[in-house]
Amino acid sequence: MRLNRRQTLGLMGAAAATTLAAPAIAQNRKIVVGALRFTSHSGSFIALERGYFNDAGLDVELKFFQAAQPMAVAIASGDVDYAVTAVSGGLISLADKGAIKVIGGALSEEDGIDGQKILASDAAFKAGLTSPSQLGGKTFGMSTAGSSFHYMGSKVAQAEGVEMSFKPLQKVGAIIGALKSGQIDAWSIVPHIAKPLAGSGAVHIIGNISDYLPGYQVTTVFTSAKNASDERGQTEDFLAGFGKGVSDYNSTMIDKAGGDDGVNEMVDLIHKYVYTDRPREKAAPSIINGTMRINEGARLNVASLKDQLEWFQSEDLVGKDITLDTLVDGSYVEIYEG
Amino acid sequence: MAETEAANRPNDDKPIEVRFRGGGFAPRSLRWVGVAVFVVLIGLIQWGTQSGWISALTLPKPSDVLATFVQLWESGLLFKHLQPSLTRLVIGAALGASAGIATGVLIGLFSYVRAGLVPLVAAIFPIPKIALLPLFVIWFGIDEGSKYALIAFGTFTPTVVATYGAVDNVDRSLIRMGQSFGLSWSSIVRKIVLPGAMPGILSGLRISLAIAIILLVAAEMLGAEYGIGAYILEAGSLYDLERLFAGVVILSLLGVLVSALIGLLEKRLLGWRV
Amino acid sequence: MGMDIRLDGICHSYGDTDVLRDISLEIPTGQIVCLVGPSGCGKSTLLRLIGGLERPGSGRVLQLGAPPADSLNPLTFVFQDFALLPWRSVKGNISLVLEDHGIRGQRSKAIIDDVLKRTKLSDFADALPKQLSGGMKQRVAIARALAVNPAVMLMDEPLSALDAQTRELLMDDLVALWTRQPFTAVYVTHNLAEAVRLGHTIVVLSRRPGQIREIVRIDTPIGERRAGDPVCQTKHDLLWELMREEARAADEELIDG
Ligand SMILES: Nc1ncnc2c1ncn2[C@@H]1O[C@H](COP(=O)(O)OP(=O)(O)OP(=O)(O)O)[C@@H](O)[C@H]1O
Ligand SMILES: [Mg+2]
Repeated sequence: MRLNRRQTLGLMGAAAATTLAAPAIAQNRKIVVGALRFTSHSGSFIALERGYFNDAGLDVELKFFQAAQPMAVAIASGDVDYAVTAVSGGLISLADKGAIKVIGGALSEEDGIDGQKILASDAAFKAGLTSPSQLGGKTFGMSTAGSSFHYMGSKVAQAEGVEMSFKPLQKVGAIIGALKSGQIDAWSIVPHIAKPLAGSGAVHIIGNISDYLPGYQVTTVFTSAKNASDERGQTEDFLAGFGKGVSDYNSTMIDKAGGDDGVNEMVDLIHKYVYTDRPREKAAPSIINGTMRINEGARLNVASLKDQLEWFQSEDLVGKDITLDTLVDGSYVEIYEG
Repeated sequence: MAETEAANRPNDDKPIEVRFRGGGFAPRSLRWVGVAVFVVLIGLIQWGTQSGWISALTLPKPSDVLATFVQLWESGLLFKHLQPSLTRLVIGAALGASAGIATGVLIGLFSYVRAGLVPLVAAIFPIPKIALLPLFVIWFGIDEGSKYALIAFGTFTPTVVATYGAVDNVDRSLIRMGQSFGLSWSSIVRKIVLPGAMPGILSGLRISLAIAIILLVAAEMLGAEYGIGAYILEAGSLYDLERLFAGVVILSLLGVLVSALIGLLEKRLLGWRV
Repeated sequence: MGMDIRLDGICHSYGDTDVLRDISLEIPTGQIVCLVGPSGCGKSTLLRLIGGLERPGSGRVLQLGAPPADSLNPLTFVFQDFALLPWRSVKGNISLVLEDHGIRGQRSKAIIDDVLKRTKLSDFADALPKQLSGGMKQRVAIARALAVNPAVMLMDEPLSALDAQTRELLMDDLVALWTRQPFTAVYVTHNLAEAVRLGHTIVVLSRRPGQIREIVRIDTPIGERRAGDPVCQTKHDLLWELMREEARAADEELIDG
């Protein structure tokens, strides 16, 4: 048997693990997992690299996407089995069409851990936009209407009792460009993008999303409705493998269980997938800065999901008759209201 | 026996009518066929989506698209979206087409301009103008400026190419005639070159304006809250197929309208064509 | 009064091909000079040189005497393909050549009416070229030429795009026009019958490079020439003899490339 690097690592990981859950079904079922090259997708990277998927009897192929939208479509079309993405109007709409289901939680805002930041452009900052309460009459960047940016911005404005106008700019890169050049006034984004931007002086951090949306369930694990209902075993296996990856990530990167060595080793692993175009020493700070807690055991904050669903409905972005049960299959993971 | 033989011989007394073989290859105006194709296609989709044979993820129900459209109309949102789009289209296309016609005529008339600009136009023609949108945003601002610029730029190049081609195709003997009667340069350009190039310019405009409509959606990708393109993009990101199709239908109608307008213009301006 | 044209040692070539060689010729006022010669010998080129649409390689085209004061365009072409603007009516095509001289309104209308009457086109003033037959189009072209009151008309095979009957009729028209008011013309043709019918002098060019082979004069007044007229027939046969050899040689040259 010829082993490639990934399989070797997998075997080593398997040997290192103390107890192994018995695979629910026959070994090596081939599945495709969609991912973006973001730190927040580390759960999948770790589970693959350390062989947790193999242990769960899955032969996982990672498929990378440039954006969350096409990934959701790929799940709906059956080209991808499982993926992690932010809740958006599109995702809810696909769930409403019977194509996908949210089966677990991934990234969420949590007290004490750096979460998503509210940013102001340098020009707007100098003109007095120094806290979210001054957002009235400003322009707020978003990828598209019904994106998570739209949700966050709206919620912040609502809480502050102000009105903003939202500029759709399709891509994160375009939003960053518009913010830097002062074409838009404000935006919100994960810390590993926010911090370097603020460091360059082109933008300023003026607040935290967690102050407005505590416990915000930013990203979720989702799959096709068919997998959720007909492939229970496989789905449980995926969540088991994914959950172990997440556990490793949280304990090493947030709780520092392995000390600095553990962090370094983890950075090495993640760097294989994220910031691959940069040398290790340049990528490391970004990876470390980008650390956010991923929900243990993929547990899911349904209260946050409910709030998001209701907001999308109130904005007439998705159908009013969609219920939380249409969107979520809560039978796989622990659900909580936070 | 004798009778069959006679029947086999064509040059016998029985005359045989010459078989007609000259049909086809001549386009006839059969407008109803186009309508029928549409009706049948839409009917099929309606039946397919109704019966579940086509899933909700594949295509929306045509009746739902119609309902969305009606709702759009009744809520007044249609005009809220249509008005900025039409403004962008008219201003952008007018800028691009008039600059394109002027440049095309100059290329057609002056060898130096031709030598200098034709390679440049050839170089910018294949650039997907959408790729330049971020640049336009920096140059012209995220508001209307960049949208006008994108549409203008997109209509400019095909108009230039069509126009100088049309000027090149103006019958040289007519220009010689003008010269032989001692007409001034400007008279020759105004009275011979421009009218002679008009058919080519107008058919170029047909293509340029279709491109302008395509670019409308691209232009509204960045920073447009209202507009048909913004509406379609939003519907796309929400997987709201009904709205998506309603938007696409509006664009198609816009295309048909523009084409009809040019047809009218051709009828008025080019009645002299044989 | 009147303006003669003199060609003085005209040579012309396009790149390496010599087209015309040492052409010297007088075109006297009030006369029609016909140019005949095999295909490709440079007749049209010579006409363009005379009309100033091209510059000769060497030699000069000279105007002797001033053109009539009321001549708007002393050297005026009538083209084989009519060269009418298809987007202008008959009237518009004629007014085109007047507009640049600042002639508009009543004066323009008077001139147009006059030339249309002379070419028997009064009923078609508002027609577009696409509505006219070939013969009528050529009459419009002739009317347009007459409108600028030319000193010399340069006609390049004006009738060869037309069928035989129309050609006969138009020839009669030209003869009538000339008899009413003699004009100067250089008339290029392939058709010896036309040359014999209309030419005071007939210049025979050799095959390319075109040189003057022979100048034939016909003294019978133009108005009195009839088909089958013995003088005309003799001249016709003479011309045919001259041309036959050249035409054959030219033909073979073309085949050889
Ligand atoms: N603009 C040009 N450039 C190059 N060669 C030319 C040009 N015009 C004419 N010629 C060549 O010059 C020669 C004479 O042409 P021209 O048209 O004067 O002949 P022609 O006597 O009028 O012929 P035809 O009887 O066929 O009308 C021909 O060989 C032609 O190919
Ligand atoms: Mg010729």
